[in-house]
Amino acid sequence: MNTVLVVRSLISGIMMGSVYALLGVGFSLTWGVMKVINISHATFGLLGAFIAYTLLHAWSLDPILSLALSAPLLFFLACLIYRFIIVPITKAKEVIVASMIVTFGIAIILENVMLLIWSPDPRLLTTSYTSKVLILGPLYFQYPRLAGFLMSLAGVLVIHFFLKKTYMGKAVRAAWQQPDAAQLYGVNLQRISMITFGLAISSAGAGGVAMAFLYAFEPHTHNLWLIYLFLVVIVGGVGNVLGTALAGLIIGVITGLSFAFLPYQWVNLLTFGLLMVILVFRPQGLFQSEV
Amino acid sequence: MVTPDSKSRRLVFWVLVLFIALAVFPWLGIPVYFVSLLFTVFLYVILATSWNIIGGFAGYLSFGHVAFFGIGAYTTAMMINGFDLSPLLTIVSSIPAGVVSALIAVIVGYPCLKLRGPYFAVITLCFAFVVDLGVKNLDILGGPEGLWLKSMDLPIDIIRAIFFEVMMLIMIFSIALGIWTSNSKFGAGLRAIKEDEEVAQTIAINAPKLKIEAFALSAFFPGMAGGVYAYYLTYIHTDIVFDMMISILIVLMALFGGGGTWLGPVIGAVVLTLINEGLSTFVRAEFARIVYGCLFIGVIIFMPNGIIEFFKRAKGVPPG
Amino acid sequence: MSRRCLKRSLFLIMCLSLGLTLVPYGVSNAADKPISIGGSLPLTGKFAETAKWIEKGMKFWAEEINAKSGLLGRKVVFKIYDDQSNAGKAVTFAEKAITVDKVDLLFGGYPGTAARAVMPVAEKHKFVYVSMGGHMKSFQQGYTYSFGGPPLMGEWWYEGFYQWLKSLPAYQRPKRAAVYTMNNPIGTSLMDSINRMSEDLGIELVINEKYNLPLPDATPFIVKAKQMNCDLLFSNGFFADGVMTIRAAKALNYNPKAIVQGVGSIIPAWVKELGEDGNYVFSGTVLHYKLAYPGNDKLNAYVKEKYNLPGYPLYFGFGYAWMQTLSQGVEGANSLNQTKIRDWLKSNTVQTIAGPLIFDEKGLPEPVNFCTQVIDGKVELTYPKKVRTTKPVYPKPAWK
Repeated sequence: MNTVLVVRSLISGIMMGSVYALLGVGFSLTWGVMKVINISHATFGLLGAFIAYTLLHAWSLDPILSLALSAPLLFFLACLIYRFIIVPITKAKEVIVASMIVTFGIAIILENVMLLIWSPDPRLLTTSYTSKVLILGPLYFQYPRLAGFLMSLAGVLVIHFFLKKTYMGKAVRAAWQQPDAAQLYGVNLQRISMITFGLAISSAGAGGVAMAFLYAFEPHTHNLWLIYLFLVVIVGGVGNVLGTALAGLIIGVITGLSFAFLPYQWVNLLTFGLLMVILVFRPQGLFQSEV
Repeated sequence: MVTPDSKSRRLVFWVLVLFIALAVFPWLGIPVYFVSLLFTVFLYVILATSWNIIGGFAGYLSFGHVAFFGIGAYTTAMMINGFDLSPLLTIVSSIPAGVVSALIAVIVGYPCLKLRGPYFAVITLCFAFVVDLGVKNLDILGGPEGLWLKSMDLPIDIIRAIFFEVMMLIMIFSIALGIWTSNSKFGAGLRAIKEDEEVAQTIAINAPKLKIEAFALSAFFPGMAGGVYAYYLTYIHTDIVFDMMISILIVLMALFGGGGTWLGPVIGAVVLTLINEGLSTFVRAEFARIVYGCLFIGVIIFMPNGIIEFFKRAKGVPPG
Repeated sequence: MSRRCLKRSLFLIMCLSLGLTLVPYGVSNAADKPISIGGSLPLTGKFAETAKWIEKGMKFWAEEINAKSGLLGRKVVFKIYDDQSNAGKAVTFAEKAITVDKVDLLFGGYPGTAARAVMPVAEKHKFVYVSMGGHMKSFQQGYTYSFGGPPLMGEWWYEGFYQWLKSLPAYQRPKRAAVYTMNNPIGTSLMDSINRMSEDLGIELVINEKYNLPLPDATPFIVKAKQMNCDLLFSNGFFADGVMTIRAAKALNYNPKAIVQGVGSIIPAWVKELGEDGNYVFSGTVLHYKLAYPGNDKLNAYVKEKYNLPGYPLYFGFGYAWMQTLSQGVEGANSLNQTKIRDWLKSNTVQTIAGPLIFDEKGLPEPVNFCTQVIDGKVELTYPKKVRTTKPVYPKPAWK
């Protein structure tokens, strides 16, 4: 009886955490490669969710398929932002500081543009499989959660293999580990950074859709998402793709398990409290940072 | 190094004039709103300047500073309701609020300040949530209902004037602390920590002790300000005084003006608060927010190191 | 060269905008000038959705009264600030409206936390403040200028539902309730009627838990309710958490006799976004577009034409009703003197779209509450019988 409860909570936690991970991976990349803390990362995720919503209602396009449209769009948008907003601030003494302020501005603008276009009404991604469940013995899997989980799994693995296996990916890693040496070997830092930023924002779009499978969203929701992805990325080690994924799972599992055994009132508090404890004992994050 | 030459003496004179002018401001029969607006400006100056001690000088970006503000607010509210204190004693009763905040900062800072860079940022963020949720869940602290405070039995403009003066006094002290830090050995030590903590250790800087001192100092004034703010609002709720957006705003204000200098956060807080307020008269609220967002981008593209650095350079003072 | 120019102009712009914020604008109060009504609403940020509907309701009222002879023979204009969903800002803007814009009247704010912070300010400035209030506690602070006209009173919210349950034969009533409540002022005030009236009807609160927003996952709620055989589910939350709870109930095929939802199910997005799954959810209200009181038809026609909705959303009605109360106070007192308006409101009956309201010394009308249920994508009135628009569907049909 109790083992069933534990396994159920674990599954539910893993599905939830994996979605945070997909949202966080790109954030981790821009931070690692470019020293840019992108406060507007979750806002782009939200934009992805809104685009998916619109396409779903206009052409009944499946949210996952709509990524084929929104991901290139976000990539293009990201390149523009990189060229005209991020490049000028790389001259700053503290790029991290300047990037935070600039991207905070982007987040505000984007939030209010979404408010103008989509109005402040809360939205849901409702597809034909929204309330379907897969039941395996005592365990159950809700399809939208499963979809979010699989999307995240695929997204994180794609980014991981891109970095480890492809030439471009290796150049990206070289660029952030030893920028000077990489440049000597003919790596074009600017181009690499632009592509990284574009990829990161596109993955945020995918993460946003995955989040929207689980949660309702409105134009201001990105503030909430930002906090979760900040947690996931840092606990997982900045720049560490698999670490981010694992951190997402850990946060999900903590939440899931505390739901099973604690008064619900204390669940959120316990999650943040445990994260503090983890950080105190592992001051460099759970997993090696790759910066 | 500041030498007491005639130039700086003149500066001191003008600053004094400014403060005296500010002090008499609420008694001139000006609409109460302007008194309240300046009160808010002072509040953010205090928050940004105090944050700057740990965030700007020592480079430890605390993303949970709203916790100290809220702790101060709740301490005062509990005190005033528990001991039936007269609200006229605002300044006196906000000191314990600051002390409680500073004490909690020491306790929390001891383990947390071992963390560096982003890890410190996140642990402070978590801390703010833990405090927020803790207060929400504890019914003796008002829980989800929040707390009402007695308001003074005086006309509104007098009440507002009193809060104004108290907040200004706290602001002057917090700015003084900022100036002292930027010119003292203490500040030099913090700067060395920001530059390179390992190196700082080797040149006989007791980094752990210094950091805790800085963290406690940076929590003290927000605590006091929170106490005064609680009186001012007469109703406090965790969603109001532990609002995450305040934490983020404090950081941005300090960095926007220029972290690590005493003047930068003051400028950042004043400029951002006033512009935000001015924009609220726009016809469409969304457009106002978009303009506000553009401001962040515009300023940083032209002044990537903050406003203060930009003006220093424009005047030909070498940066640093 | 041009760069320096740019920098200078940027600096200039900054100085200008700084100056602009400090320019006090004088407003004189000549008799032919329009009556100005000021205050703030959270037009951006967390609470924007509801605030926009309140704003529309208020503006409709102004349109209507200006098309007639106006208020006291003068036109009315609104001065609405955006407080960015920040209660502290709501306080400053209320003061700005009163002391700088020198408005003649103050309008009511949203949400409850902001109203709680503005009520003492209105009291200090001696301005009549007609709003939703901040639930019962805010009306017990001894304020004399604040009115809930009508209030959004969590404490009364389920009264209609319980009265309807009482009208059922005892064997049909649910026996075991699972109650999940968000940990904030609305949530705790919703608990009031549940605590008061459950025992009376022999309903046992088998599960009674609070949760903090944001809710990460609602499946544990449903699993537990199912395990404990609860046949009545209270989900005392907003939209996001309410939706999650309903979806989890459907996914796990949990079929209690009735599902009751707090304040998420009364906003238009509920039926629009949830579709069929949002059906049969019970809730309460103090105001409804199908009430037979005069004025409701007019509002419905307007909303139908302008937003293509079957009836006006609750908060549209609130915005309109608060202005009705305020303006009747002004007309009754035949003056813009706040104390006279207050005294008139305290001693006379106000006719609103929520029915006649008589305010007591706390500024509250008699407890009113209706039981609502979402049926076929519409929020219908199901109790009391005299206002009923359709029969409640009970027990809830099983999930398809």
